[in-house]
Amino acid sequence: MNFLEIRDLHVSAGGKEILKGVDLTVETGRTAIIFGPNGSGKSTLLGAIAGLPGFIITQGDILFKGMSIKDMPVDERSRMGIGMAFQYPPAVKGVRLETLLKNLSGDQDLVRSHADLLNMTSYLGRDINVGFSGGERKRSEILQLMIQMPDLLLLDEPESGVDIENISVIAHALRILLEKEKPISKRGRSAIMITHTGFILDYIKADIAFVIMDGHVLGCGAPGDIFDEIKTHGYKQCGTCFAEKYRDMCVEDL
Amino acid sequence: MNMQAIDSDRLLTIGYDSCAASCGTFMVLDHTILEKTSKIKGLHVIPLDEAFERYPHVKDRLFFHLVDRERNEFTRLAASSEPVGYYVLVDEGVRIEEPMQAAFLFGGTDPVQIIHNIIELRPGAMLNIVNGCTTASGCHTGRHIGITETYLCRDSSLGYTMLHNWGKDMEVFPVGAAMVEEGAQYLSNYVAMTSVKKIVSYPTAFVKPHATARFYSIIYAREASCFDTGAKTVLEGDGAGGEIISRVVSEGGTVISRQMISGNTKGSIGHMECSGLLLNEKGVIHSVPELRGEHPDINLSHEAAIGRISDEELSYLMTRGLTEDQARSLIIRGFLDIKIQGLPPKVQALVDEIIDRSISGSI
Repeated sequence: MNFLEIRDLHVSAGGKEILKGVDLTVETGRTAIIFGPNGSGKSTLLGAIAGLPGFIITQGDILFKGMSIKDMPVDERSRMGIGMAFQYPPAVKGVRLETLLKNLSGDQDLVRSHADLLNMTSYLGRDINVGFSGGERKRSEILQLMIQMPDLLLLDEPESGVDIENISVIAHALRILLEKEKPISKRGRSAIMITHTGFILDYIKADIAFVIMDGHVLGCGAPGDIFDEIKTHGYKQCGTCFAEKYRDMCVEDL
Repeated sequence: MNMQAIDSDRLLTIGYDSCAASCGTFMVLDHTILEKTSKIKGLHVIPLDEAFERYPHVKDRLFFHLVDRERNEFTRLAASSEPVGYYVLVDEGVRIEEPMQAAFLFGGTDPVQIIHNIIELRPGAMLNIVNGCTTASGCHTGRHIGITETYLCRDSSLGYTMLHNWGKDMEVFPVGAAMVEEGAQYLSNYVAMTSVKKIVSYPTAFVKPHATARFYSIIYAREASCFDTGAKTVLEGDGAGGEIISRVVSEGGTVISRQMISGNTKGSIGHMECSGLLLNEKGVIHSVPELRGEHPDINLSHEAAIGRISDEELSYLMTRGLTEDQARSLIIRGFLDIKIQGLPPKVQALVDEIIDRSISGSI
């Protein structure tokens, strides 16, 4: 049984079809990277998996732990084990970060120690994301995931807007969450991570990469190879080469 | 009805706990005084009619002095009735940390309960009062008129927290006014979280040089409830300060929030905020902010916003596994969470507890 299986997924947002038949599989314990130019549908894919409002699935299915979740509300998906770190998380005025974390876990020591790990202790008493810088928001997102402990992490550009020092802090926390010290066969968590810059790959080893363009998955393969290809040729020039070179690769080959 | 017959749970909803530490107590059921204690030297908690005998100035210079007895039908009715209520006096320089508890219960023996309280803090004195009003169990209908006149002498400080938990068909008309003399500080908090037919309240503070008056109100208006409430601050001395902050949630009820700050003196500063949250289409929140400046060296400002819970915030919290109701409750609780500067932690905890209990029971 695949951990996450996406079949022929079509998703509309704002009345426009963004994903036009995506097929994608992530196995237990794997970290998948999604590459793609702006507007290709990467965030739409994560939003559709998480069940965020505004992303309408018009065709296809999403199977998580063997169960279709496409009609499931966002909170049920979360309780099934899906957690998301937003690229642009909203500010929630009046709700202190610590209050939310206490609602997710009664273990105050755990909250404190994870906050300490992410340099967020002094932010616990502040309203969620209110007045936070870009990097602080990203650390807050990862802190929430560390308390939530989801089985599938959806990471939407976790390093964007984060300075070098804090990328390493975030990456360290993600490595703990994703149990990177264990062999793949022993890991229980998986992740789908979007990255524009690829900086995060210097800190976290991904197991597979997918390239999305214009709402389609063009291919998948080893993250390093694909990233090199993008750096060398760019997305535009390599649209066809991705399709030809990587379309037949799949996770079992890695 | 005696104290044993009173549902202690009702008293707890307005913060009145006979076992809790306090500097003094005062409790009235309808028009019968059931309890009056003063546990600290320099604090005097006296029934108003007794105070008239012991302190002639109370009747001559304080009673219906700040509140005009001809102001409206309720003040006229109160003026024509035998006064029932407290006179609280704190002697000069006596500063009391422990709050005083007062409770006014409407038991329905009389169709209208009329209360008149007078508070006087002598120079440099300090006191916190938690004033709770509620109905006895099973009693939902009636009318409460409450007059409160507050006199704060130079450099004194009063924290006055009013907690309302009325029956759903009660009509309530508090009338309050405070004289805040030079350098004094007046902090007035109002919390109403339960159903009531109607509450009309518009207390006024007259603020002298370098004194401050702050009004905070937290209102949760349920269906068929109507609140016409607010505050007025008159800055009458150089460097006077005024603040009026309200947080209003309507779950189908109507709230008219009237706020006014006026000033005609040098260096006065006034600020008001009204934030409203509408939970459904049945509710109405009507904010009426007024500023009036009559001196070029004055700084008055206001902010007002009325809206609904953002879908984006709701779904964001739901991605963490909270149900929609839990997420909504968290946002509403946060919206009502005003940390009031200068409020004793014990009173803040009480306010927090009352809000928590009300929200968890309603959402």
